[in-house]
Amino acid sequence: MNIFPIQRFTIHGNSMFPTLRSGQDVLCFNWAYIFSKPKKGDMVIVQSAKFKVQSEIVKRIQKVEGNKVYLIGDNARYSTDSRNFGLIDQSEIIGKVIFVR
Amino acid sequence: MDLMKLVIRLLPTRVVLAHCDIPCGIYDPHAAQLAAKTVLKMVSLINELQPSVSEPPFDERKKIISQISRLTRVKEDHAELCKREILILWTDYFKAEHLEKFPNLHDLVWKVTKLCSENKRTVDEGKAAELIEAVDKIAEVFEQTKK
Repeated sequence: MNIFPIQRFTIHGNSMFPTLRSGQDVLCFNWAYIFSKPKKGDMVIVQSAKFKVQSEIVKRIQKVEGNKVYLIGDNARYSTDSRNFGLIDQSEIIGKVIFVR
Repeated sequence: MDLMKLVIRLLPTRVVLAHCDIPCGIYDPHAAQLAAKTVLKMVSLINELQPSVSEPPFDERKKIISQISRLTRVKEDHAELCKREILILWTDYFKAEHLEKFPNLHDLVWKVTKLCSENKRTVDEGKAAELIEAVDKIAEVFEQTKK
């Protein structure tokens, strides 16, 4: 759990197009899931050992299954997401995107 | 929301990937197919141009020359675009395992790129149709690899 409640990220890539465009900035609320559970439709920032990349990624929750989530990009055709890397543990969610600039 | 705008400006940032393993890349033979069709269309339009009389006045010649220049330019640009799109698929998309399955892939690419150059040089509907056909063959291979 991050000690900072809010973190800024800059989007890179097109898998969340048109919701998020490459170069746009977002705010991530790191404490979003302390008192509530992730739910379908939430846009989340995730870091997992399952990824081929080191960096965090941003996707939308399509399904919640127990304490795991199924992620998909809004631009599904050009997205690498749970269809490739499978379910992601809720503990691997960094936070929820709460603001897009 | 103004508070958010202030906060977002003050915080340091880092990259988060809206990510796709193909680096942001969009591989699709459609662009090449479209470009090849454009080449044929331009060749047809050039061939359709007719003067009103056998020795047209200067003004009409100017118009025809201008029109041919424009059509030729689009033809050349799209032949080049077609070549580029096919080469991107060849160098970035297709992998060794695809080549094992489709051993004629190198030949197909070679043929298409040569045809692109040929279509730049010539005004020949036959060559343009050949290009479309050849690009379609690569598109078929592409579709097969997606299955």
